[in-house]
Amino acid sequence: MIKITLAGIRGHILRFLLTAGAVMLGVSFVTGTFVLRDSIDATLNNLFSQALKGVDVQVRGTQSSGDGGLDDARAPLPLALEKTLTAVPGVQRVAPDVQGTALIAGKDGTAVRSGGAPTLGFAFRDDDPAFSLVAGRGPSGPSEVAVEQATLRKSGLSLGDTTRAVVGDQVRPVTITGEVVFGSMFGATAVLVDEATARSAWASDGMVSAFTITAEPGVDQDQLRAAVAAALPATAEAVTGAALDAESQEALKTGLGFFTTFLLVFAGVALFVGAFIIFNTFSMLLGQRTRELALLRAVGASRGQLQGMVLGEAVVIGLLGSALGIGLGILIALGAKAAIRVGLGASIADDLPVSAAAVGWSIVVGVLVTVASAVIPGRRASRIAPVAAMRDDLVIAPKGLRLRGSVGGALLVVGLAGLGYAVTRDDPLWPLAGVGAGLAVLGALVAAPLTTRPVVRLIAWPFAALGGVVGRLARENSLRLPRRTALTASALMIGLALITGLSVVAQSVKASVADIVTSEVTSTYVLSAGGQSLVPTSVSTAAQKLPQVASVATVNGVGVQVGAVDTFAYAGEAGPIAENFALTMRSGELAALDATHVLVDETRAEENGWTVGEAVPVRVGALPARQLIVGGIYADSQFIGQVLIDESLYEEAVPAGARGAFSVHIKAQPTADVAALRAELTTLVEPYLLVSVQDGEEFVDSSASQVDTLLNLLYVLLLFSVVVAVLGIVNTLALSIIERTREIGLLRAVGLGRRQLAGMITIESVATAVFGAVLGAGLGLALGVALQRGLRVQGLETLAIPWLGIGGMLLAASVVGVLAAVIPAVRAVRLNVLQAIATD
Amino acid sequence: MGIHVAGIESADDAAHRAGGIAFAEGLTKIYGSGEARVVALDEVDVSFERGRLTAIMGPSGSGKSTLMHCMAALDTPTSGRIVIDGVDLAGLKDRELTRLRRDRLGFVFQSFNLVPTLSARENITLPLDIAGKPVDPAWFDNVIDTIGLRDRLAHRPNQLSGGQQQRVACARALVSRPAIVFADEPTGNLDSRASAEILGFLRRSVDDFGQSVVMVTHEPSAAAYADRVLFLDDGRIVDELLSPTADSVLERMRGFDMATRRS
Repeated sequence: MIKITLAGIRGHILRFLLTAGAVMLGVSFVTGTFVLRDSIDATLNNLFSQALKGVDVQVRGTQSSGDGGLDDARAPLPLALEKTLTAVPGVQRVAPDVQGTALIAGKDGTAVRSGGAPTLGFAFRDDDPAFSLVAGRGPSGPSEVAVEQATLRKSGLSLGDTTRAVVGDQVRPVTITGEVVFGSMFGATAVLVDEATARSAWASDGMVSAFTITAEPGVDQDQLRAAVAAALPATAEAVTGAALDAESQEALKTGLGFFTTFLLVFAGVALFVGAFIIFNTFSMLLGQRTRELALLRAVGASRGQLQGMVLGEAVVIGLLGSALGIGLGILIALGAKAAIRVGLGASIADDLPVSAAAVGWSIVVGVLVTVASAVIPGRRASRIAPVAAMRDDLVIAPKGLRLRGSVGGALLVVGLAGLGYAVTRDDPLWPLAGVGAGLAVLGALVAAPLTTRPVVRLIAWPFAALGGVVGRLARENSLRLPRRTALTASALMIGLALITGLSVVAQSVKASVADIVTSEVTSTYVLSAGGQSLVPTSVSTAAQKLPQVASVATVNGVGVQVGAVDTFAYAGEAGPIAENFALTMRSGELAALDATHVLVDETRAEENGWTVGEAVPVRVGALPARQLIVGGIYADSQFIGQVLIDESLYEEAVPAGARGAFSVHIKAQPTADVAALRAELTTLVEPYLLVSVQDGEEFVDSSASQVDTLLNLLYVLLLFSVVVAVLGIVNTLALSIIERTREIGLLRAVGLGRRQLAGMITIESVATAVFGAVLGAGLGLALGVALQRGLRVQGLETLAIPWLGIGGMLLAASVVGVLAAVIPAVRAVRLNVLQAIATD
Repeated sequence: MGIHVAGIESADDAAHRAGGIAFAEGLTKIYGSGEARVVALDEVDVSFERGRLTAIMGPSGSGKSTLMHCMAALDTPTSGRIVIDGVDLAGLKDRELTRLRRDRLGFVFQSFNLVPTLSARENITLPLDIAGKPVDPAWFDNVIDTIGLRDRLAHRPNQLSGGQQQRVACARALVSRPAIVFADEPTGNLDSRASAEILGFLRRSVDDFGQSVVMVTHEPSAAAYADRVLFLDDGRIVDELLSPTADSVLERMRGFDMATRRS
């Protein structure tokens, strides 16, 4: 039977290659994910070991407690601690981590940075082992900087050039005196200034986040840690370099774990779609070989042997597809690396490690999916009666679709009902929603063949009306086997349903953000750094001094814990808040906000039974808990959030080097000339390079557009499953043309031109693709709307449906249909008319 | 042998043109090369008369199907000249050949004559629909009444018997009023009763409508419906019979068999 299996594959090599192509795409995603993960893992490990070079012990603020959402918050430490630490025996060098943000203007006058990567600033110290000077000299004095190599290259500047720098919140012209090299920067830029400048820019309040300690030769890390710890106040702790390394590794593993799972979900979608195509191809191939299989049965092959033969073919295809997929996956990882390099301006990895695990998983997944998809067609093949070998017409009467339709329809209805119930509750039931969505997708897949006739008729209507007999022939061909058309279209449906669902949610997020900003922000202008950087505090200070400005509200925040409520609190001052935001007080006064009072929103107050005048325990950042009095309760606000604290608490909790505003809101004097004010503000922020002036509408747009970046990434990942589905259309069409060889020969003989034939096949392809897109859009709309309904309690209040995008998707589907038809159409028009007629 | 073979004297080419709806000169078709070289047609000169039913007979491999395929613009000869309804096929591109088949030729094949997704009516008007030409309703009715399938027009091919399918195919071949209809063993898959219907129908199309028909067959009884029978062997026309009967055809074939055996 092995010989027959291999001969079977050889005999239909092209069809099997197309099937292997579907396996390949799914597997390549898996391989690419693993390789990319391993690659990033290796690079980051390298980065840590570089960054932790010379770190024997680190002293840092303690975490206030382990629970809640404030894990990352550590209390800042006073610079004065440096003296204490230097005095500890065994300590060779103590370096306070004086660092913050810094950036320079490049040759073109714009900020030098890559995408959303951090813009880091460090103190330049000759003895710092984390970097090395490769050209020029270190900076000295406030008007000199050293620049990291990749940053310098990107800036287009060279040593000795003068440019503008933003160091912390200070802006000044500087001269580039040196070029330094770090380990991998992972896309971040770095600018270094001398110690005094660094301290004035990033530690003006005398606080830093940590101290790095190098041991004297011969002193071991644990010994030194113990000695250092003994000298520390309660708010500080000491860890060894080794422990720090382990911590970073742990954090990295968790992060990469999320990343891997995230990517594998998309690989899973692509493989699921691939399974449809494998199933379809096997069904068609076996259908075409009915007579051959029946002959095998007639000469004595058992059912088991036939089934074994089919599964054997599946194993071979699975192996071939996996092998190709591994190759393509490595290419994809390379491509992703290159894309990251272009995006971040930095290489993330020097090599691409291909681990045995990556290869092993790819093969296992590829072969399993292929074999599983071939089981049903294989069983069907084994049931062919030997007498079929003798029969002339091999048309197997298609089973009725009614039962299938009712089952699918029932699943769809039950699923959607469950989903609808789950998400419209005040407290959405997500597990039920998940089950409902799953049932709905399953129902749609099962019932799809029943919808083929009406939907394809509708799609093909313009072609039939305008294209005459060619359009009619194409329509009838698509309807000939509704199951097959539906299966092919379903593969496309899955990817497009996810894309539609996502775009509904994304559009709703944008609309909701826009609604919130429009209804809650009353500022004249907003200064922002594009969402990826903070606006330096000096900007708001300077803006305050402009005569036409009535008030300036800075939106900055810090993690707080109020009673049992863990949240990110907005910090500000009552006056500017009142002028820049529409905040409705339910009880108490906004003006009550000060260092001893906290304001909370209505829902939090109700849930916790807080009333105005009551004292509640509040922890701000890593500061010790304190009692604050509830000064007022305001109507829930999406923009301000759940808790409002005074600016002074923020300043106490956040060291100067880390401060900055997400946005700075400017309210003009009632008599102000707003156009002139805009010009003044533009002049004011221009030196800060990243900060821009926006009016209300622009702020709405820019807030909403931040969704797009993430969305585009998701689209790219989902595109994979769409490509697999398109491959499925190509495969199905190509196979159906082989089935119809004689019919095509006849049509050509009675005068169908090559162009008309190609047109017919293209219309079939377009009808299938658009059918899939219509199903996908319908299902995706249902899922997207459900998701929005469920998330409305979390602030996603406005439902917005991207009709234009969905229309574009349908249009794109027809283009995809045209492309998918190219190969099958070329094959069809190249058929020799005479041979085609003579085929059996 | 003293057998008169039509079209052997190229001198009176014009005469052929006058009476012939299609003719070929020096038609040669060679398949393969070297050891596998097969001469399917060997310098054949032939003419088919207008308004006549011509049958082509011959043993398997005699070249009768190749001759018909070449004459019907389905296959390209290795050398020689073919003129159909005044159109010289030499140098015609695929598009022009397709148009010629669509507008001037009709086909009836042995089997698989109909597009399964189209109804009988749609199959009949297929060549006109492909060409985007209107159907002449009077002529359509005339053809339909002749084949007698008026009540079956809405049926799909799989709802029709083999004989009915073949009748639909004949109607399709006639509906565009082609210059010439080529039938390749049109009764090869039918029982004798259905065969008689089809052959009677082809005969009537010649007698009543003046249609020119060329039919390849290996059945003497089918050839008996023709006005003229051409016998092919080894790629050459070896004999001809006018106003044949089944017996005379059979006799000729027998004699011809013995002649080839003797040689």
